[in-house]
Amino acid sequence: MSKKFFQHTSLWLSLGTVLVIGLWPIVTHNALNRETAFTVLSAVALASSLNILLGYTGYVSFGHVVFFGFGGYVGFYTINVLGWNIWMAMLAGGIAAALLAYLLGVAILRLRGAYFALATIGINEAVRAFINNFAPFGGPTGMTLNFKVYKAYGGAMHALQLVFYIMVGLTLIVTILSYWVRTSKFGLGLLAIREDEDAAEVMGVITPSAKNWAFVLSAIIPGMVGAIFFFKNGTIEPGLAFPLRTSIEMIVMIMLGGQGTVLGPILGAAGYQAMRDYLLVSPLFKNLQLAISGILLLLIVLFIPRGLVGWLRQRYPKVRRWLI
Amino acid sequence: MRRKLYILIGILLVAGMVLAACGKATPTSAPAPKASESSQNNVPAKTSAPSAKEVTVTIGFTQSKTGKFNEESTRQSDGLDLWIKQVNDQGGIKLSDGTVVKFKAVSYDDESSGDKVQQLYTRLITKDKADFLISPYSSGLTSSAAIISEQYGKIMLATGAASDSIFKKGYQRVYQLYTPASHYLTGAVDLLQSLDPNVKKVAFIYENSKFSTAVVKAAKEYAEKKGYDVVMFEGYDKGTTDFGSFINKIQDSGAEAVMGGGHFQDGSTLARQIYEKKLPIKYLALLVAPPDPSFADLGDAALGVVGPSQWEATANYSPESAKAAGLTWFGPTSADFVKAYKAAYNEDPDYHSAGGYVAGLVLQKAIMDAGSVDPDKVKAALDKMDILTFFGHIKFNTADAHGLQIGHEMIYIQWQKKDGKLVKEVVWPKEGATAAPLYPLKH
Repeated sequence: MSKKFFQHTSLWLSLGTVLVIGLWPIVTHNALNRETAFTVLSAVALASSLNILLGYTGYVSFGHVVFFGFGGYVGFYTINVLGWNIWMAMLAGGIAAALLAYLLGVAILRLRGAYFALATIGINEAVRAFINNFAPFGGPTGMTLNFKVYKAYGGAMHALQLVFYIMVGLTLIVTILSYWVRTSKFGLGLLAIREDEDAAEVMGVITPSAKNWAFVLSAIIPGMVGAIFFFKNGTIEPGLAFPLRTSIEMIVMIMLGGQGTVLGPILGAAGYQAMRDYLLVSPLFKNLQLAISGILLLLIVLFIPRGLVGWLRQRYPKVRRWLI
Repeated sequence: MRRKLYILIGILLVAGMVLAACGKATPTSAPAPKASESSQNNVPAKTSAPSAKEVTVTIGFTQSKTGKFNEESTRQSDGLDLWIKQVNDQGGIKLSDGTVVKFKAVSYDDESSGDKVQQLYTRLITKDKADFLISPYSSGLTSSAAIISEQYGKIMLATGAASDSIFKKGYQRVYQLYTPASHYLTGAVDLLQSLDPNVKKVAFIYENSKFSTAVVKAAKEYAEKKGYDVVMFEGYDKGTTDFGSFINKIQDSGAEAVMGGGHFQDGSTLARQIYEKKLPIKYLALLVAPPDPSFADLGDAALGVVGPSQWEATANYSPESAKAAGLTWFGPTSADFVKAYKAAYNEDPDYHSAGGYVAGLVLQKAIMDAGSVDPDKVKAALDKMDILTFFGHIKFNTADAHGLQIGHEMIYIQWQKKDGKLVKEVVWPKEGATAAPLYPLKH
């Protein structure tokens, strides 16, 4: 029993971290802590999702926020226009993002390295331009929810509480998904692609399909996160839905924690958000917060380029077995 | 080698983030107000009661200290800060029960992005115990903040947010200070009607963007209600530089008045080409471009062109015009505001600055009317509010679109010639006018 338990230490550690963040506002009964935990968990979910593509498969996507925005738009539309509930909307957002990823994957996963990264930036901009001109989604001014929508959930206060629980659930799911991919045969194929795509192909990995599935898996949760984020936000517009900066932040969080590991993106995202939140409101730094977080990031990347988990693995070879 | 690669990627990422965060929108052309000399100090609530009970009211808001709204948002909070300073320097507001109310502001950077607005407003309410809230800059961020303010029953004064849609979503405690987008051009229709009741044929030509489309759709509806015959209603693509075919079409339609436009570049090009082709129209009103000082570079083509603005320093709202309109006057005059603003920040205020200041002023009036800082009483006072300030008329919808601004009218400026030089004059509404309108257009 205990041997089996320790086999999955990394999963327990990761789930534990997510649970601690998720339980913190529930135990303290504090709305502000809930809001803070919400942004931290959404960052964790986004970073862990992108990690499947970036960390395991080695494909850098600079436009991953496109799935968050697109899923958000589809989810928002189903709530605002079709009158669906949040659960269905979340599902719709996830499916829409997955479909988009599948179609895009067929087209652009043939590209490698810098070309792929450039294409992903282009796609984010293209989808944004499309939404900007798409009348059913409200065009450039987007859509706004009626405050009464929240009544069905017992008022805005309860709706936001519910959204938080959903976010905890989604983050736990993405953690399990990430761990499953990392330890499965499928994930091994992805790791092989990351190291040498041609060699992986020779070894029997069906690279086009493996890459495409990795892309789809990395898009579903961001689509769902988008749907619940914009439900909570109450309004959606192209500028809010497709911020390039969030894409870059997702990569930064993964690199801080350690790419290609399960626990890394979780710690990276939580650490990054905690730092940003602290700087944003601290009386001493709040006017300089972006400059300071830039310098801190630079220092971290300079001195621990593999990220926290990568550094631990390198420094203490004994922990490698259970810290993945 | 690999380490170097990581370092390179790291540096690029940081640089990318800094760039993304610093990317500012082109500063909106702020109308340059002219300060007229006036030493009259007309700020109300001059009180001092040393023995009275003193309360400090916390005003919470987020400001876009970084990101694309930085410029506008900073001016907005500068305006608000000026109001806070003035009220506190004068000893605060004295209520009827003798309580003295002073103000303090708490603000955070929302980075012009929506992802932290709700978190920060929750913080302002639960941790900083803000009593009243001011909206962030822009309609998008304001709608995100409204969900939080509404659920805690906090009053939020929305300035810098012109969207109509927020106020049609069932909020009860959000109050708009700007004229909503749907009224940007309706005043231009009123002005035309007051100038020449015989004109009946109007053409609308506008940029195919959501803002301009929303504005002209509302204006068209309004014009038709007023009995106008809309002979042309056509959009042009962003970046259009040749309006030749549109101008021919306007001529064929027999329109006597033209309204529309979009942004600065297309609006000024349209005005120039209408002038060059000597289009025989009597009236031309365009969005956004005319209030910009550089519109005067068009020379004679700018003469007589009308354009809407939220506020102009030259707008002649005064205690006298309030009396004439049967409204209560409140707060400083435009000249006093401009003077104080210039002294504090060493630059001319634009309408964002005025919007920030007036948010404070309206709150002050509501607290004075309510005689209390109790949110329910202040809400009742806001619902009843019907005043004239240097910013214009302030009155809120209290029915189907609660909180929507229905008093404030856009100011319409017109380029006129004085001593051979082009000057911007306020021509509408009448109580704020600085000159008689030039009519008809002389081409």
